[in-house]
Amino acid sequence: MNVFEKVAEIIANHTDTPVADITMEASFEEIGLDSLDIVDLVMAMEDTFSVKIELSQSIKKVGDLVTVIESLKQ
Amino acid sequence: MAWIADASLATAVSEGGGLGLIAAMNADPEWLRTEIRLAKELTKKPFGVNIMMKSPFVDAVAQVVVEEGVQIVTTGAGNPERFMQSWLAAGIKVLPVVPSVAIARRMENYGAAAVIAEGCESGGHIGELTTMALVPLVSDAVSIPVVAAGGIADGRGVAAAFMLGAVGVQVGTRFLVANECTVHPNYKQKILNAKDIDTVATGKRLGHPVRALKNKFTEEFLKKEYDPNTSFEELEALGVGALRLAAKEGDLEQGCFIAGQSAAFVKKEQPAAQIIREMITEAENLLRGTNQWLK
Ligand SMILES: Cc1cc2nc3c(=O)[nH]c(=O)nc-3n(C[C@H](O)[C@H](O)[C@H](O)COP(=O)(O)O)c2cc1C
Repeated sequence: MNVFEKVAEIIANHTDTPVADITMEASFEEIGLDSLDIVDLVMAMEDTFSVKIELSQSIKKVGDLVTVIESLKQ
Repeated sequence: MAWIADASLATAVSEGGGLGLIAAMNADPEWLRTEIRLAKELTKKPFGVNIMMKSPFVDAVAQVVVEEGVQIVTTGAGNPERFMQSWLAAGIKVLPVVPSVAIARRMENYGAAAVIAEGCESGGHIGELTTMALVPLVSDAVSIPVVAAGGIADGRGVAAAFMLGAVGVQVGTRFLVANECTVHPNYKQKILNAKDIDTVATGKRLGHPVRALKNKFTEEFLKKEYDPNTSFEELEALGVGALRLAAKEGDLEQGCFIAGQSAAFVKKEQPAAQIIREMITEAENLLRGTNQWLK
């Protein structure tokens, strides 16, 4: 499973969104997540990928999160 | 507590056995510097500064606490991550207010000394969870100490907070009527008159709701909030300056009288030290009596 697939799975588990609807381009707002949900997700990502993710304004869509995780894992 | 917790109230609380806080609110950094220096003259006891993350001066204010050698900082209404490193490097103990488990865990990772789990009963910016649910959840999730806030205004609340896993409490609303609190007398009177159903949360649509006492201001705000023709910007603008109008001018119509649900059991104006003593004595007596529930 690549980073995107794992991220999509975690998001799907945290929400009622079907995995198929979670694309790199999907924004968290579209998925129905508010700022508290995003922190919750980020913590789940940190636990899963053993990384430390800085929370910044630039994490707005799924792709942003995937990019951050990929760069941290290198 | 924006416009309210100045050196006068903060030092009265510290002298009374609590940990007083000066609220930096939306004030400019020089106001804060003056209050910190004044507080140091008024008490030798520890006190802290609360920094409101939504303040337009947040960066400057975050620097002032370092320059003035403040030892304890609490944060509210947002995420203080970007300041943590510089505060910790200055030896400051940081206690962020947290509305959820995930944020509590992040703050622990970032080096917070403790977290303040604040339920939506409280006055001011509020989250979604109640104190009753949030405090035990946060207590389970972190290994640093947890302070409970929201709806605590007497010894029963203090005793309950300990049972929920907290090791301390933060109180806002009850101190609004402390003798040393310099808010307008109309503000104090509104707190003293408040009953159970007198507070509302405005601004849910903006993503950062605020609990305050019902009046013409909250009524009109809510009307606009549920009117789809009101833009976010318009709604944001409505709230600006309204707390100051309440606290400084006592404007009963246009002021925003921020208060928690516990206003309903705040019944008299007293010195801060007496409020603290009463709450703690009552809590001790209740905790001593807990044996009655055991077989
Ligand atoms: C008038 C008022 C202003 C407040 N301003 C702030 C603030 O600027 N920053 C903050 O972190 N919390 C603020 N709070 C929340 C308090 O720090 C505290 O957590 C809360 O009042 C506790 O709940 P209680 O109101 O039921 O006592 C404010 C509360 C009140 C009543």
